[in-house]
Amino acid sequence: MDCHQCHQNHGSCGSKRSLRWLPFSENLTRPPIEPGGPQIALVGMPNVGKSVLFHALTDTYVTVSNYPGTTVEVTRGAVTLGDRAVSVIDTPGMYSLLPISEEERVARDLLISESFGAIVHVLDAKNLGRMLSLTAQLLEAELPVIVAVNMMDEAQRWGLTIDREALVAKLGVPVVLMAAARNRGVDQLREALADRLASTSVPAVAAVG
Amino acid sequence: MNDLSTIRSSDPHWIVHLETQDDAMLRKLTALGILPGNQIAIEQRFPSYIVTIGRTRAALDRETVQCIFVTREQRTDANSNSDSAMP
Amino acid sequence: MSIKIRYLAPIEAAITQIEIWWRSGWGQDFVDRHLSPRSFALLLLQKDPNLWEQLPGNRQQDLEQLIATTQAQISRPISLEIAQARQEFAQAIEQTTLAEPNPNQRHWGEKIHKLTVNPISGFPILVLVLYWGVYKFVGEFGAGELVDRIETFFEEQINPVVNHVTEQAIPWPSLQDLFAHEYGIITLGIRYATAIVLPVVATYFLMFSLLEDSGYLPRLSLMLDRLFKAIGLSGRAVIPIVLGLGCDTMATIVTRTLETKRERLIATFLLSLAIPCAAQWGVILGLLAQRPAALVTWAGLIVGIFLLAGFCIDKFLPGSAAQFYIELPPLRLPKIRNVITKTWVRMKWYFWEVLPLFIWASAIIWVGRLTGVFDWLISGIEPIALALGLPKETAPILLYGFFRRDYGAAGLFDLQQGGQLTGDQLLISAVVLTLFLPCIAQLQMIIKERGVKTAVLMVSFIFPFALAVGYVLNWGLNLFQISL
Repeated sequence: MDCHQCHQNHGSCGSKRSLRWLPFSENLTRPPIEPGGPQIALVGMPNVGKSVLFHALTDTYVTVSNYPGTTVEVTRGAVTLGDRAVSVIDTPGMYSLLPISEEERVARDLLISESFGAIVHVLDAKNLGRMLSLTAQLLEAELPVIVAVNMMDEAQRWGLTIDREALVAKLGVPVVLMAAARNRGVDQLREALADRLASTSVPAVAAVG
Repeated sequence: MNDLSTIRSSDPHWIVHLETQDDAMLRKLTALGILPGNQIAIEQRFPSYIVTIGRTRAALDRETVQCIFVTREQRTDANSNSDSAMP
Repeated sequence: MSIKIRYLAPIEAAITQIEIWWRSGWGQDFVDRHLSPRSFALLLLQKDPNLWEQLPGNRQQDLEQLIATTQAQISRPISLEIAQARQEFAQAIEQTTLAEPNPNQRHWGEKIHKLTVNPISGFPILVLVLYWGVYKFVGEFGAGELVDRIETFFEEQINPVVNHVTEQAIPWPSLQDLFAHEYGIITLGIRYATAIVLPVVATYFLMFSLLEDSGYLPRLSLMLDRLFKAIGLSGRAVIPIVLGLGCDTMATIVTRTLETKRERLIATFLLSLAIPCAAQWGVILGLLAQRPAALVTWAGLIVGIFLLAGFCIDKFLPGSAAQFYIELPPLRLPKIRNVITKTWVRMKWYFWEVLPLFIWASAIIWVGRLTGVFDWLISGIEPIALALGLPKETAPILLYGFFRRDYGAAGLFDLQQGGQLTGDQLLISAVVLTLFLPCIAQLQMIIKERGVKTAVLMVSFIFPFALAVGYVLNWGLNLFQISL
């Protein structure tokens, strides 16, 4: 578990601990991650289906490592966006940008110390109002946020509807409605990510190590 | 204004005040939507308290419930903007 | 960004002041942080400890001053005012974007939720879940059925081949022992890891992932909060404790999700004293299966010690029990694919974590035996074993138990298969091994999480305590002439 160099390698040290003998077939045609290319982070409160979304996005290429100096685990993988593979990080659950627990501190540190091409804020559709306050904090920090309103299937069962257009207008960032556990909206999220990364004019930060 | 543990009915009440000096707890309660101006209802009291705040459901212990102060009617001073500013 | 939350006027004034400071040079120290000045200002106003400690002393004083004057102008804590403004902003957005055309539409999950948390139906459900999920599935199926099959496969198919190949390839018998024979890396280390530990943790993680994804775990916490308060923990600690029944090492890591230092300490202690890991209780279950009286006595003693130790440490440690608050997500049917992925990732992590330790343990045993250090240690332990009423053959097991608790339990299993132990002796050794020193991996984790001092203190209590309980148990059984 002491794969600390992963911190800088943007997931490229997966060779050692990747799911090589996973019974499912690994996608061999997956393009390699560009060194120093953009990174994507998934953030959100606990219980919003963040890790389910992570696995839906990343297929089988997953590495788990400890955040330097802690025993908090950070999961990294790669998402295929068109013809490029982009490194994606699943951060520990957090309630606000101001950390209380060790896990929240790790999530916050990751967010503000590494450079991300896009930050996906995953939230639970049923509790939109409660969770948008974290979106507000991410926007206050001027981070490149994409809002993923997850668990739409449950919200629909509860008789709730969400006006995506209005949400886009209010927040001024891309919004995707989805149900990751049912694999709904995952492709739309991929598109939104590809658009966001394509529009980012900031050149990729040179890889460290 | 009464603390939530004294409320016998299961109707929603308005949160007026959180009586705690513990910053971490204040933030956790806030994250659950438990903060002044919101409505809270008690669903169950034993073995733990179960409350609902909007569509959020949470379990709390007695000590936590006792630091949530509520009223039956919405009070205007529950709104943060009317807190008088002292010179 | 297009959105901007307006905070109370005194807070806005303070933000402006910090933004001015930011531009006048404070920002220099934070150029590598992806934070806007406004966000930076808001975090500092709430005394973010990580940003705070990076400020030079004189700036800290300026800030202290600014926070004091800002706080003096508003009646409620700054952080509450900030949270409230954000919440109002968020709820205003929800009101215009979220509609509830059919309120009160009830879902099947609601009915089950009521059943799981109602004390009358909830406690029986809890017992059933633990009985079927943990005892039946992990204990009987995983630790019994699966272990048996894989063990038999190893003993009949793999070990003879390994022994034969090693004997052909390596001419020196002492080097042969490193890989093969009774304590070899392959014939013992890898066999234990795959045949005894793997099936147990696989079934355990599968069950745990199911409970987790269905949303039942927080309900388990709320049902047990009151009981856990009596031993200085909160309902939140149910998760590491139940996880400890799978793997104490992993559970020790998970104690960091507990809110207070005191609670983390108590949980770590109880995990290392009285929570047997799956590999351990799986084997013990197998050992004592034919002797129900011994099994019940073992379980009763361990539960009793768990509660009593918790109760005492709660009384003895300063501070009060942690508060309990936990979100209850709706109950849902777990998605099988997600459960399998999760189980798989955990198993993989565990296996790679554990396998080197088993290999190391085999190698250390080899060195210890070769150099005679072990014989010397074992001859030191033999009188202790005899004092506990155990045959001296258990001395090596007590020693190996130090390398891994489950390793020791598995050694006991081998001894029992040979019919060398009476019921009383099985019970005593099971109790001592359960209470005994944590396995080496867990010890490392305790040191990492709680520090060397705490680890030493715990170990120097647990070691004599386990032996003392064994001694008293043997004395009691003899006194009343009970044979189980």
